[in-house]
Amino acid sequence: MDRITIKSIDRSEAFRYMAAEGYSPEGIIAELADECERELIRVISPKYTYRVFGISDNDGSRVRLSGCPLILEGKDISALLSGCHSAVLMCATVGAAADGLIRRYQAEDMTKAVITDSFASTAAEQVCAAFDDMLREKYPDKFITWRFSPGYGDLPISIQKDFLNILNAMRLTGICLNSAGMLTPVKSVTAVCGISDISLPKKQRGCAVCRMRENCTYRKRGTRCEF
Amino acid sequence: MNFEQLLREKEFIILDGAMGTMLQAKGMQPGETPELVNIQKPQWTEDIHRSYVDAGSDIIYANTFGANRYKLSECGKTPAELIPPAIANARKAAEGRALVALDIGPIGQLLEPTGSLSFEEAYELFREEVIAGRDADIIVIETMTDLYETKAALLAAKENSDLPVICTMTFEQNMRTFTGCSVSSMAITLEGLGADAIGVNCSLGPRELYPVVEELSRWTKLPVVVKPNAGLPDPETGSYDVTPEEFAESAAKLVPLGVKIFGGCCGTSPDYIRALKERLSSERYAAVEKNIPSAVCSPENTVIIDQPRIIGERINPTGKKRFKEALIKGDVDYILGQAIEQAHAGADILDVNVGLPDIDEKAMMIRAVKAIQGVTDLPLQIDSTMPDVLESALRIYNGKPIVNSVNGEEQSLNTVLPLVKKYGAAVVGLTLDENGIPKTADERFAIAERILNRALAIGIRREDVFIDCLTLTASAEQAGVMETVRAVRRVKEELGLKTVLGVSNISFGLPNRELINSNFLQMCLVNGLDLPIINPNAASMTGAVRAYKLLTAIDVNSVDYINAYSGVTVTTNISGTAAVKEEKSSDGNSLLYAVENGLKAECAKITAQLLETTDAMDIVDGILIPALDKIGAEFESGKRFLPQLILSAGAAQSCFEVIKQKLSAENGTPETKGKVILATVKGDIHDIGKNIVKVLLENYGYDVIDLGRDVDPQAVVDAATEHDVRLVGLSALMTTTLKAMEDTIALLRSNNVNCKIVVGGAVLTPEYAEKIGADFYAKDAKATVDCAKKIYG
Repeated sequence: MDRITIKSIDRSEAFRYMAAEGYSPEGIIAELADECERELIRVISPKYTYRVFGISDNDGSRVRLSGCPLILEGKDISALLSGCHSAVLMCATVGAAADGLIRRYQAEDMTKAVITDSFASTAAEQVCAAFDDMLREKYPDKFITWRFSPGYGDLPISIQKDFLNILNAMRLTGICLNSAGMLTPVKSVTAVCGISDISLPKKQRGCAVCRMRENCTYRKRGTRCEF
Repeated sequence: MNFEQLLREKEFIILDGAMGTMLQAKGMQPGETPELVNIQKPQWTEDIHRSYVDAGSDIIYANTFGANRYKLSECGKTPAELIPPAIANARKAAEGRALVALDIGPIGQLLEPTGSLSFEEAYELFREEVIAGRDADIIVIETMTDLYETKAALLAAKENSDLPVICTMTFEQNMRTFTGCSVSSMAITLEGLGADAIGVNCSLGPRELYPVVEELSRWTKLPVVVKPNAGLPDPETGSYDVTPEEFAESAAKLVPLGVKIFGGCCGTSPDYIRALKERLSSERYAAVEKNIPSAVCSPENTVIIDQPRIIGERINPTGKKRFKEALIKGDVDYILGQAIEQAHAGADILDVNVGLPDIDEKAMMIRAVKAIQGVTDLPLQIDSTMPDVLESALRIYNGKPIVNSVNGEEQSLNTVLPLVKKYGAAVVGLTLDENGIPKTADERFAIAERILNRALAIGIRREDVFIDCLTLTASAEQAGVMETVRAVRRVKEELGLKTVLGVSNISFGLPNRELINSNFLQMCLVNGLDLPIINPNAASMTGAVRAYKLLTAIDVNSVDYINAYSGVTVTTNISGTAAVKEEKSSDGNSLLYAVENGLKAECAKITAQLLETTDAMDIVDGILIPALDKIGAEFESGKRFLPQLILSAGAAQSCFEVIKQKLSAENGTPETKGKVILATVKGDIHDIGKNIVKVLLENYGYDVIDLGRDVDPQAVVDAATEHDVRLVGLSALMTTTLKAMEDTIALLRSNNVNCKIVVGGAVLTPEYAEKIGADFYAKDAKATVDCAKKIYG
């Protein structure tokens, strides 16, 4: 398990999560945002862990990994990992204290709760970005795909439990599932990415290939995520 | 040989090393259920156990770490099927040379409030393991990161078995567990609950664990256990970076801290245990002298009573109409507001009293304690006259609380003290008995002494008995005031006990009560009061404690005092009423401005002023609702963003609170536009969206019955039937919980509940809402309000 430090929250990203893209807060909201950021950064303990497995078979609809009993099912994950020799399974979290802070703010001031909730989501994404940087540094001569999470496209979300078991995630990061299959702490991420010796075409991204496109909140609002 | 003998006869007790990594070395795949090996490849576990016993282990852990019903569900086996063979395998390998432990690890799901598993469910899961493991010699609860889960396991072990119990938790380098539990909180809570040895395991190597063990040793008189990893794992190879010799050397450095029991966790093997045994053979156990101070705690926060600590008294319905209404309505949010306000004002501990004749006090106490612990880390003082209410709160409290109270009556001593002992709490002893409150200090002192002796006799530590010498009102019993003060002094000096006192009662019936209260408080502090029970929101009271700490050099360099008051302009309160009148007159426009700009304090002030001349409903319908409509329309058209909408809604809420308080004082009830049930569906624990909707609906005068999150479909049906509501709002965040939303709707329909259903949440669409049988889809909170308007007008 690796520990990383987050020094500030990417505000523009965070306000986008609040459906307030392009909004630059002033007055009370700016003050609250400063307070929420300070408090969140004080309490969180970001962590991630990962395992690298060789890809033993990728037939276009499922990917098998060597030394790992989990099979990654789906055309989307197969397409993502095509041309890759290894797959990285990772999980990351900002920790349970973020949930606690959001809970406290919900009893204290809903504005702070809303701001902190999206700041914490942003922080989780920043932990993932730090993981990406670490991986690129570790494999300077390789090409690394973007991250793809269980539940995206046709990669079933039902693999979460096995996925976390393989990473020993509970012990190393404190991440586990609740009875409904939600990740807890809430601001946690699981994802797969591929490692390749050759440069990869970037064609697989965007709304056109996203299977969430029919019920995506961003699209409903006329914006988009970073997929 | 049993555990007690081992403790007595062995210089050090040696545990075993890792099981998981050893099984993987034998061919088990990552992600497989290790406990299945007990019946599928029993030889594997037997070999591993034998190699540990050969290496010198005095206690071996049976392969039962994850053998709880939840974790085993995927392999189709039960604890009763896998635990007995696991213990038998270990027993066979031990051949009488080592004790066999039932190993209990975390359930694999987070408990409430971060997760959705309840304390009671966790207890049941652990109980099942304890019963299935009754053939073991000892129970080990290990690798825990949540104090609450550890408590559930320890209670289950203590209540369903006579075996000794070792508890070890897993700490990070920041001296906390993943869930934020501190070392001191772990130590005082688990020792109080009757663990036989406590310690740390996993996460770090023996070198990195030094500061954690040092802190732990300071906080417990129990035998200390250390079972570290072989350093840290490499994510790609899974291997650990410390050799057996280095491991043993670092472990030996922990001996002077008073560690008695050593073993190894992830990455260790019989080689590590052998090296450990050998290295420790040249060491002597170092018994360490220590004085554990008076302290109470939540998981994150240990409050040491080495100086005056403020107990906030506001969570108590006595004499508070608004509070009583909240209790009757089951409005826990109101109580949470009181908790947070006192925490901000400077309370160190919160008293919780929810006793009211017409409510189920036990159920309310459990709800309140759980909810308050979810939003603040202040330790709680559980306050009830009913022993069964005390016990149910003690059970589900996370940490070490104070019980308020026991007194000198025989019946009270016989019922309350055993609860205090069993659950490891501290206790307030009231100096009264069958004959009432004695007049003199000496008589109260005598009762205090009696309470202390009874507590000591059943094993409660002296440090955990706090004496309340009782405040009588000065207006009625003027001569009694100094008797109280003298009694405080005697109890403190002669019995060496901490003292506690409800202060505000002193001024009952007198004008300018705060003046009397703060002066009496100072007198008591000077005479040895440790735990004043006061209203921390009263600046003069909190100020008196801060000033006392500064003047007695407890607040070294005046740091806390300066932090609290620098930049604060102090105004005397005498001309308060006049000052308000001098300000420019408040009108609807200024209120509109305050709501639009989210000026909460202004909103409350202007509303209070307007209420002097204007009817409450005129303010609501004439000013607040139009203001909210305007803000809502601006939100819809994209001129205003979500944080701004919520900010205004929150400001409007403070107007409504002022109105409610006024109506409540005049025995009126606020006009309601209709009842709406809100719930986040079963399994879904992300409830912020639902709470936003709640604020907006309340703004518009709807009476929201908030069922919370992770709500069972049946609970929605029951509430909808009981309250006869016409609108139910359901929220779900994840695709995985949409099914629960569908189930809830289906159950409402099949029970013919006559209500409309509105649904919302990130992954919903109008089409999907229709498909699962909802009447309305709300894209945001504003749309839910529009929906309610359609139904109730």
